[in-house]
Amino acid sequence: MADESAFDKKKAHRAKQAGRKAEKKKKKKQIDTSNLSARQRNPKAFAIQSAVRAERQFRRREDVIAKKQHIPQVDKTPLEPPPIIVAVVGPPRVGKTTLINNLIKSFIKTNVTSTNGPITIVTSKKRRITLIECNNDINSMIDIAKCADLVLLLCDASFGFEMEIFEFLNICQVHGMPKIMGVLTHLDMIKNAKTLKTTKKTLKHRFWTEVYSGAKLFYLSGIIHGEYLRNEIKNLARFISVMKFRPLSWRSTHAYILADRMEDVTNQEIIRKDPKVNRDIILYGYVRGVPLMKETMVHIAGVGDMKVSELSYLPDPCPLPSSEKKRHLMERERQIYAPFSGVGGIVYDKDAVYIELKGSHSHKQEDEETNEKKALLKNVVETTETIDEQMQESGFKLFSGGAVIYPDMLKDDEYLQQKSKDRDESSEDSSSEDDEKSDSDHDSGIEQNEIKTGKNQLPWDNGSNNEEESGEETNSEKEDEEDFGIKWKEKMNEKATDAYFERQNTSGNIMKLVYGEFEIGNKTKDKIDESEDDSDEEEIGGLFKKVTATQKKKQKEKERLDTDECSFFYSLDKPLLRDWTSESNKQHLINYFVTGKRSADEDASELLKLDDASDGDDEEVYGDFEDFETGEKHVTNENSEDINTLEAGNKRKAEPTKSEILDKKLKLKAKFDSEYDNPDDHRIKGDHSYYENLKAEALKQSELNKSVFENLDNGLRIEVEGFRPGLYVRMMFKNMPSEFVTNFDSTYPILIGALNMAEQNIGFVSCKVKKHRWYKKILKTNDPLIISLGWRRFQTLPIYSKIEDDLKCRYLKYTPEHVTCNMHFYGPVTPQNTGLLALQTVNNNHNEIKQLGFRIAATGSVNEINKSTQIVKKLKLVGTPLKIYKKTAFIKDMFTSTLEVAKFEGAKVKTVSGIRGQIKKALNKPEGAFRATFEDKILMSDIIFCRTWFKVDVTKFYAPVVNLLLPLGAKNAWQGMKTKGQLKRERNVKSEANTDSMYTEVNREPKVFKPLVIPKQLQKGLPYRFKPKNKSTTLSGKPKTQLDRVAVIKNPYEQKVTNVMKMLKMNFDKKTEQQKAATAERLKAHKKQLEDEEWRRIKRQKELKKKICRHLSKMGNKKKTQM
Amino acid sequence: MPAVTENDVLVYRGSNFFRQRLILSSLSGRAIRIEEIRSTHDDPGLREYEVSLIRLLDKVTNGTRVELSETGTSLYYQPGILIGGQVTHSCCPQRGIGYYLEVLLALGPFCKEPLNAVLQGVTHSELDVSVDKLKTAALPILLKFILVDDGLELKVIRRGAPPLGGGEVVFRCPVRRHLRPLQWTTWGLVKRIRGVVYALRVSPTMANRVVDSAKGVMLKFLPDVYINTDQCRGSNAGKSPGFGVSLVAETNEKTFYCAEAKSVEAGKGEITLPEDLGRECALRLLDEIARGGAVDSAFQWLLALWMALGQKDVSVCIVGPLSDYTISFLQHLKEFFGVMFKLEAIVQESEESDDEEDMPLANKIKMTCVGIGYVNISKRTL
Repeated sequence: MADESAFDKKKAHRAKQAGRKAEKKKKKKQIDTSNLSARQRNPKAFAIQSAVRAERQFRRREDVIAKKQHIPQVDKTPLEPPPIIVAVVGPPRVGKTTLINNLIKSFIKTNVTSTNGPITIVTSKKRRITLIECNNDINSMIDIAKCADLVLLLCDASFGFEMEIFEFLNICQVHGMPKIMGVLTHLDMIKNAKTLKTTKKTLKHRFWTEVYSGAKLFYLSGIIHGEYLRNEIKNLARFISVMKFRPLSWRSTHAYILADRMEDVTNQEIIRKDPKVNRDIILYGYVRGVPLMKETMVHIAGVGDMKVSELSYLPDPCPLPSSEKKRHLMERERQIYAPFSGVGGIVYDKDAVYIELKGSHSHKQEDEETNEKKALLKNVVETTETIDEQMQESGFKLFSGGAVIYPDMLKDDEYLQQKSKDRDESSEDSSSEDDEKSDSDHDSGIEQNEIKTGKNQLPWDNGSNNEEESGEETNSEKEDEEDFGIKWKEKMNEKATDAYFERQNTSGNIMKLVYGEFEIGNKTKDKIDESEDDSDEEEIGGLFKKVTATQKKKQKEKERLDTDECSFFYSLDKPLLRDWTSESNKQHLINYFVTGKRSADEDASELLKLDDASDGDDEEVYGDFEDFETGEKHVTNENSEDINTLEAGNKRKAEPTKSEILDKKLKLKAKFDSEYDNPDDHRIKGDHSYYENLKAEALKQSELNKSVFENLDNGLRIEVEGFRPGLYVRMMFKNMPSEFVTNFDSTYPILIGALNMAEQNIGFVSCKVKKHRWYKKILKTNDPLIISLGWRRFQTLPIYSKIEDDLKCRYLKYTPEHVTCNMHFYGPVTPQNTGLLALQTVNNNHNEIKQLGFRIAATGSVNEINKSTQIVKKLKLVGTPLKIYKKTAFIKDMFTSTLEVAKFEGAKVKTVSGIRGQIKKALNKPEGAFRATFEDKILMSDIIFCRTWFKVDVTKFYAPVVNLLLPLGAKNAWQGMKTKGQLKRERNVKSEANTDSMYTEVNREPKVFKPLVIPKQLQKGLPYRFKPKNKSTTLSGKPKTQLDRVAVIKNPYEQKVTNVMKMLKMNFDKKTEQQKAATAERLKAHKKQLEDEEWRRIKRQKELKKKICRHLSKMGNKKKTQM
Repeated sequence: MPAVTENDVLVYRGSNFFRQRLILSSLSGRAIRIEEIRSTHDDPGLREYEVSLIRLLDKVTNGTRVELSETGTSLYYQPGILIGGQVTHSCCPQRGIGYYLEVLLALGPFCKEPLNAVLQGVTHSELDVSVDKLKTAALPILLKFILVDDGLELKVIRRGAPPLGGGEVVFRCPVRRHLRPLQWTTWGLVKRIRGVVYALRVSPTMANRVVDSAKGVMLKFLPDVYINTDQCRGSNAGKSPGFGVSLVAETNEKTFYCAEAKSVEAGKGEITLPEDLGRECALRLLDEIARGGAVDSAFQWLLALWMALGQKDVSVCIVGPLSDYTISFLQHLKEFFGVMFKLEAIVQESEESDDEEDMPLANKIKMTCVGIGYVNISKRTL
């Protein structure tokens, strides 16, 4: 805080000390003591009274705070951010174009006649926006949702929300929710004020449930002269220009570009010869998201994966105003850039006709001019070496064709000896190089580059060569021994050791050493640059030097080609180690140890001294002290060296000046104050240090990200950092399908998304998906599905599965209705947790849409990437017994060959009745039969099952949706692989019914049981009536004699007789029954009579007993009294 | 040796940097072709140890395609997905386990499942980083990137000297979705020195003699020197005789420098004196300390790799002078990932070098890079 105030040069406000205003203020400040609250009057009484309540309060406060916390993210917005993409989305005839026109007019005060493609405008001093209209194709809706920062969702209020809006919201949810503002139009169509009010309310609440409650919804109440009301538009524009954005995870890891200009640079002659030839095209746009790396694969949505063959940045066509101090934008700074709409310089046409309009800036020419200027400037800036160094590096040649001699290699005359050999090789090499050149298909510019880079490396490279060779020659010392002087040999080892250090020291530009002469920034710039560099070096060195150097490099490469790999510092040659124990070396090294001298800000004793010094001690005292201490430490040292170290030590630490001391003190004081001196903090505070630390770390990182390359040369910065977001780049694509150009339609967004590492590869993606609840049908496995994942839209054949409890993926034929399931498909490798969206068709056929209703079939996210899948489905193998022993049985019909059986040896089998068993070994007689053992004896009628799992393969089918290549009218009618059902319906193919599933008449024959046979032994023991009476039994179970009986047919008389007999019998039966009942009644009455009599008798007896007892007791009493 | 790109396949020549190329190819998912592998040698084609490395890579990946030409002089490698998990590999005794272990260390954090590798072979080799050095100096570097050590471990179960080996190590490595950006610009001062002397199938006095001489040198600089002796017996001592030492210097900012020395292979005719060995190792350690930097010079490339594979944030580290291996690794990094480091030589005070003219100072290199935003695509989310 203190620092900031120091920098702030504003004049401080001086409050009035006297006068009317001062008095007023004083009065205001005075506390009115009359109506103070109790709390204010007597604060002590309101201190903590209940610990429980205080605890609750504390907990609640902490809860609220914790709810607000989010994982801190590193803020990646660059200093000069790219324009914000504002997409205008809505169903047809809702007023999208009108809105865009009005917005442009309100921002830059000009009318734009046609709005095609992205339109970039400067809206304020720090903000630019790119307006883009989304057409009614679901492909465009998906692409727009992937790149838009702010979506203006237009809705016809007189009609209500249409399906497209809900579809778009769902797309947004999957691919990362941009900011969404609803805009209701056609409000003037609702005449009744009350209906208007209710409509607004219902629409608002419906919108809130979809986005979030409280989402902004604008009302454009009417159109006057084809324009919305100016005030309302102004309001909307204001909201747009102050909108803040949250980083989305996909976009904060991927760079992307919304192309706003396209050029076809193919040779016209080639096109004339073959109109279908693949084109070279150039796309332009602002880099967004994260920095775009130079050699990266990109995906152009609607076209496919492409390699950027050339990437360079251009001056901003729609720059932010220079940072002058003023409130408003000047008129000339309100710029617009929309090449597709014919504004901002270039009219884009099918025939590539460019017409320059008023106030345009032709980019091509400007590019080259600036390039040249920059190249010149860079040349000057890049000379890092001083003239002395250049002199050191410059060599001279004695005669043409001779070696170049450097000042530092004068004694190494082996160069002269090797020279002739080298030259021979060089000629060979150059010829081979030539061959390569002619073979390669690259265009000449790049090649020249390469050659030049080789040449350019000279100054330092040559030096390193020297060292390399000397190092290598230590190995082959013996062979060359005669050639070299003895003196040289002695020094050789040391040279090898020093070589490494020297190489680091020779030039300041270590990057050149590592990366060679890399291309900086734009390629075009480089060529000029290098040619100039060349000429420079020619002055210094000479022609021959280059040849030897390139050729020497080649030789070096050749030698390195097959050496063993070793990660040590001294990889293969063992240089002589420096004797660190010698005193001079030791003195140097000891400072790397804690026992040595430390730098000023670390050493405890010096920090102490610093404090003393700040108290006003003399510096001389401090010097003396120092001397004493060092002396104490190195007692063995000689005096001379002692002084030496002293000097070094003095140099090493900076002497604390007064201001430094003051600074330090202030810092300490501030720290102390912040810890102890906070007057507001009487309340107990939670410990948020963990979160605060995380936040501070993220902040520090983002500051570092922004600051670390700030002062770097732009070209180098791009090399290291990539094309940072906000730069306007030009990307060249080679071999683009000609349809892209011939069928170009600027109303379709061209989204170029960069692919990170490994994302260009294709593998098996497994993800979790859920069928959308508004989608009418369930999805079938292996039915083609169009998936939007990452930048891509593609068709593939998914397989649905369910993860079982043992983490096995079990195949599902259809998606379940309301739960998530797994989906596997063959497609592009995409990081986990990326959202995906599935559609069954992207065809905008009216009937089809009507039939489908809601087009989004499923949503989900990626779980895992692999190169193989493990999806299984249940398989039951069925067999029947061939022969049964006790618990062993031979089973046939389960397998067809011995080999199959061998694979299943030891597998579990089971009968229908539940008897478990195991497959043992194959039999050789009926092929495929095997021996199995069971836990019990099985029956011949049993069926034996073997339950296994069958692996289901995912079909390798991946077809990107190439809707941008389709002809103009049919861009929204991409048709991929059709589903089987679709094909059948089209061709009227009916599938044949499975005969097994047919209903047929059931014929059931009566069951015939075997006769019961009772063993003789058992029969003997049976009582007679259970014994079988007839020895011989028949199938029908009746004795033979009965069969022999003749049927008796009675004549009428006999019938009468039997009838009478029957009646008599009946009568008799009845009578006996009645008699029986009567007897029973009688008996009952008699019994009762007897009981009564008995009862009476007992009663009498009891009374008698009573009397007697009483008499007896009376008599007893009399006797007692008498006595 | 710059690569030539042929429809997205990087084509290299020569067997050098074979390991670097395979590591980077596996991580980047880009296919490579290496041609002219020792084509002019008497024994052309891949060596046994290189084939063994390919086998190891095959074990830790899924879907890798390797095509070797008949002569073995050309190789096509299309990487699959890193799987990790339980791996057992008997390494070729021509190279040390370090040769293979460094690969696993580079790939380990990006596997699908935590790596649990058992490697058998030569634990201490002349050409390669020994397992002791990896354990003490390389694992702390990885720890800086993954922050939480959940199961990062390297256990030396048996030691084995060349030529026959017989050693065994267990390496466990946790997986991460992405690495943290790292700023590591101070490395402090050396506060303690530790070491291990091992003696395999030789007299135990050898070890003690090594300790004495190494300690003798180191004590001149620092009193806190402890060197353990590891006298291996029986099966723990591997199959060949040999002895060696590795010294570790730890700074007060958790930087570890490590140096090592070992006896020459048995049967080569030369004899190594234990005293010389100890002194040599100590001098190497001093050399390493003099070079300085945040990491040991042998692991600069690992640092560079993990810096480059970080999130899209800036990482800054200061290391000692770049080794040749690191320089070529940086070149390869650029070819595979398109990432370029900003390298600055930090020039030290010139007065000091004036004092001692015969001693060129080691320049420190400040490496700055923006991570490529690499995410572990093989890890599974639930």
